[in-house]
Amino acid sequence: MGKYFVRRLVEMIVTLFLIATATFFLLEAVPGDPLAERADKLAPTLKQNLYAKYGLDKPMMERYIITMKGICVGDFGESFVYAGQTVKGLIKDRLPVSARLGLQQVVLGVTVGLLLGVLAAVKRGTIADYLVIALSVLLISVPHLIFGLLLQKVFAGNLQWFPTIGWPAGKDLWFGGWEYTILPTLTGCFTYIATYARLLKTSMLDVVNQDYVLTAESKGLSRGQVIRKHILRNSFVPVITQLPMSIAMCITGSFFIESIFSIPGIGQYYVTAVNNQDLSIIMGETVILAALYIVVLFITDLLYVAVDPRIRITGKGR
Amino acid sequence: MAELTPDKFKIIGYSKDEANRIDRPTISYWQDAWRRLRKNPVAMSALVVLCLLVVMVIVGPLIKGYDYETMNVSLKNLSPSSDYWFGTDNLGRDLFSRICVGARASLIIAILATALKLIIGTVYGALMAHFGGWVDELLMRIIEVINSIPSLLVTILIMLVLGNNLFALLVALSITAWCNTARQVRGMIKQLRTSEYVYAAEVLGASHWHVILKHYIPNMLGILILDTATAIPMFIFTEAGLSFLGIGLQAPAISLGVLIAMGQQNMDFYPAQLFFPCLILCIIVMAFNLLGDGLRDALDPRLRQ
Repeated sequence: MGKYFVRRLVEMIVTLFLIATATFFLLEAVPGDPLAERADKLAPTLKQNLYAKYGLDKPMMERYIITMKGICVGDFGESFVYAGQTVKGLIKDRLPVSARLGLQQVVLGVTVGLLLGVLAAVKRGTIADYLVIALSVLLISVPHLIFGLLLQKVFAGNLQWFPTIGWPAGKDLWFGGWEYTILPTLTGCFTYIATYARLLKTSMLDVVNQDYVLTAESKGLSRGQVIRKHILRNSFVPVITQLPMSIAMCITGSFFIESIFSIPGIGQYYVTAVNNQDLSIIMGETVILAALYIVVLFITDLLYVAVDPRIRITGKGR
Repeated sequence: MAELTPDKFKIIGYSKDEANRIDRPTISYWQDAWRRLRKNPVAMSALVVLCLLVVMVIVGPLIKGYDYETMNVSLKNLSPSSDYWFGTDNLGRDLFSRICVGARASLIIAILATALKLIIGTVYGALMAHFGGWVDELLMRIIEVINSIPSLLVTILIMLVLGNNLFALLVALSITAWCNTARQVRGMIKQLRTSEYVYAAEVLGASHWHVILKHYIPNMLGILILDTATAIPMFIFTEAGLSFLGIGLQAPAISLGVLIAMGQQNMDFYPAQLFFPCLILCIIVMAFNLLGDGLRDALDPRLRQ
């Protein structure tokens, strides 16, 4: 186990290094001068200072090494567009916002989805089952971009039940301002509901046909016990594997949802940086989001082993 | 018990040909798949809806003769009427024509991106399976690295480098999407290569091309068709999302995403301008999803009872 852990850790660092390198050179290839707008009106000496401050007067390889060193110590540099803003500072302000939005979506979406999945599997072939299937097809087919816009239009625009845009700040950051969070959370959670309902239903129907379920039934367990102890537990493996995808969807979904509802999270921040061609911010945030995602993937692999004892780590360490 | 003697039996007629006759016509894999698909009402209605949509995006602008670009300031922001079926936008352009042309663009982008994905993925997967060993290992590592970063980030970075044009969009959409195809193709080829019936065909003296044409390609076509059915709606949605964020295509270029972004600006007063592009996008995505489900049932022999 220890050796496996170390090997994965090394792999993660190498992957992150490759991603950072690729991102750096991709951004180098972006046409145009990132400081052009700010440097335009300045006197030549000031201009020189500005370029020197961002290291743009140095050759590419030297900047590459500086950037990589910076990433190692957690220094992602300063915004090209807004003087004084650092990636680190902005991430610190904005990550909690996106984290709360993501958590609310996943918790609500996965819970409802799993409940519907169990319902559809247990009541297989009844109206409840068909309703769940129809609902999940509908929810999967309507992109959350459109759900967001429609919810905003109907519940915030026409009915005025909720505020159109915004997000709680200050002391309400984590546990307050619920009226602001309801529409964005709903927008995001629909996809999870559909995905998990379908996934758990399919998985449960697979498990139902296994021999050990027959054994459990024939030794006289009640239906509830069989479902709880044998079917449900074994159906959860695919659900666990789906979770990292959901986290990835959280990250990319936040791009749309935060843009629709003007939520000051990392997704909106990234989109703004891209539209402003704020290369240092893009570099920093890409690396941070990739790191986040890689860690989630790693945790999933560990969860796999924890959930299903049939899966053993095949490292030489054991 | 009465004794059985030969004279108690008489020949009532037989022919050796009869013994080997097959009563039912032989059905190929594809005929069978089509038969199954035809029996699935949901998938068939999705197919019909898709055909209607394709006809609509091709001939739609011709029905009323309104151009999708001609502006008419005296007719701006009209509600849907018998003249302008979906109304007009803030510059007095016929929304129905615009949606037809936009949906056409979205579909073309999605189809081209899917073609790229399939070609790259198949070649890459075939290379992995063909060479095996360290080449396989290396190519797999590359896929793992690409998969360990959320694909929208890569797409956005590529758009940033190549600019807001059609070529950039195609590259950006397909640059991560092929990984999945490559994996599936690799798995399928590896599985086929060791399967008994391919081995039997080879032992019976089938040529290399016969094996490829009769066993490899039909098996892979199933995978690739399913891949297409899931990839197209995904690309349509990603394109719409990117254009909505201002990272994909931008006006005057036109696509469903561009139309939705424009609709959002006028959402408060003229909801029709947001509603219709959204509706068409949903119909396209849903039809492809339902058709994909139907195809999966029809094409995947493992699911058959």
